[in-house]
Amino acid sequence: MATARKLQGGELSETEAIERARQGDANAFEALYDLHKRRVYSLCLRMTANAAEAEDLTQEAFLQLFRKIGTFRGESAFSTWLHRMAVNVVLMRLRKKNLPVVPLDDPLETEEESSRKEPGGPDQKLAGSVDRMEIQRAVDALPPGYRTIFVLHDVEGYEHNEIATLVGCSIGNSKSQLHKARMKLRDLLKTSRAAKAQTQ
Amino acid sequence: MTCKEFQEILPEIIDGGQTIEQESHWKSCGECSNLVADLTLISEQATRLRAADVPSPRVWNAIEIALREEGLINHGHSGLAVMPAHGRRWTMRWLVPAAAALLLSFGVVDYYMAKHQPQTQVAEISPTANVSNPVDAEDSQLLEAVALNAPSMRATYEANLRDVNSYIRDAEDSARMNPSDEDAQHLVMEAYAQKNMIYEMALDRSLR
Repeated sequence: MATARKLQGGELSETEAIERARQGDANAFEALYDLHKRRVYSLCLRMTANAAEAEDLTQEAFLQLFRKIGTFRGESAFSTWLHRMAVNVVLMRLRKKNLPVVPLDDPLETEEESSRKEPGGPDQKLAGSVDRMEIQRAVDALPPGYRTIFVLHDVEGYEHNEIATLVGCSIGNSKSQLHKARMKLRDLLKTSRAAKAQTQ
Repeated sequence: MTCKEFQEILPEIIDGGQTIEQESHWKSCGECSNLVADLTLISEQATRLRAADVPSPRVWNAIEIALREEGLINHGHSGLAVMPAHGRRWTMRWLVPAAAALLLSFGVVDYYMAKHQPQTQVAEISPTANVSNPVDAEDSQLLEAVALNAPSMRATYEANLRDVNSYIRDAEDSARMNPSDEDAQHLVMEAYAQKNMIYEMALDRSLR
């Protein structure tokens, strides 16, 4: 069900905004956009790592939603409907650009290789905290396929069965690719910290 | 349990629990313990990226233009305040149809000028006054009105006006060069209709 969240300084609930948007009310469309723009844009930005493209996709996702708002029956959460639509819009774009939505077969490095690459040796640990910018840069640096799975699972909170349906892979594949993505992120974060330490 | 065995089942451990045997290895092995801590940290911190960024105002601007073009926004049902707060707002209301009429008439005049002037002469005709500058006096007045009520949107509207003025100039140039090309002339009308829409949206906004 669409929630009864109050929009526009408490004057309008989300349900009312949906109803008014169906009747062509410009303020209702804007209120719905304002409520969800951060989540949708951030999802697009994380999955593409490109601000201009993310804005383009955000626009496309909202337009698709608004065009179909008359068919929204309220059986599911409006936000779930919108986010699913945004994910599909992004995945379609990635496919059009021939970018992998599922990581290409890239066996995880062996322990030996991994240890050799780790700055400071195998016992180096990410010192207890990672700030938002650090992890954002590292996610942006992930190969597209890994980024998709990581963003959908760890950032957006989708379950592996949902990811499998969305991207067209098996649940097991989603799980293993997520693990590889996290391992790559760990490497990227360590490398970036080591580089930063060297310049200081 | 070896490190290799432990790391093979690591995804299940991060996302779920672990058995006593796994926990015993994890606690006694520094390397595996660090690995679990790092991956858990990465997974936890990732949620901070959700809804972390805001799109620029031009995204809504573009959505609103598209919704109006597609007729999904009902002009008679804007949901704006029915009673304006002061007289200046009333005095500006007439500008919406006036600006629309003015812009469309420029478009129609230009359309016929391009269609009926000989090509050699048409090329020398300067563009109409309201589109010759990137943002002209009328546009500046509109931007002032926007700045009064929605200062953050001024830059966006200014950019939109520059873009649409440039579009009008290009379309007019093309129509002059190809006076018998109906598509080129249709583009002129479309360009003016876009500018009209920007005026309508900006005045809607400034009247809220």
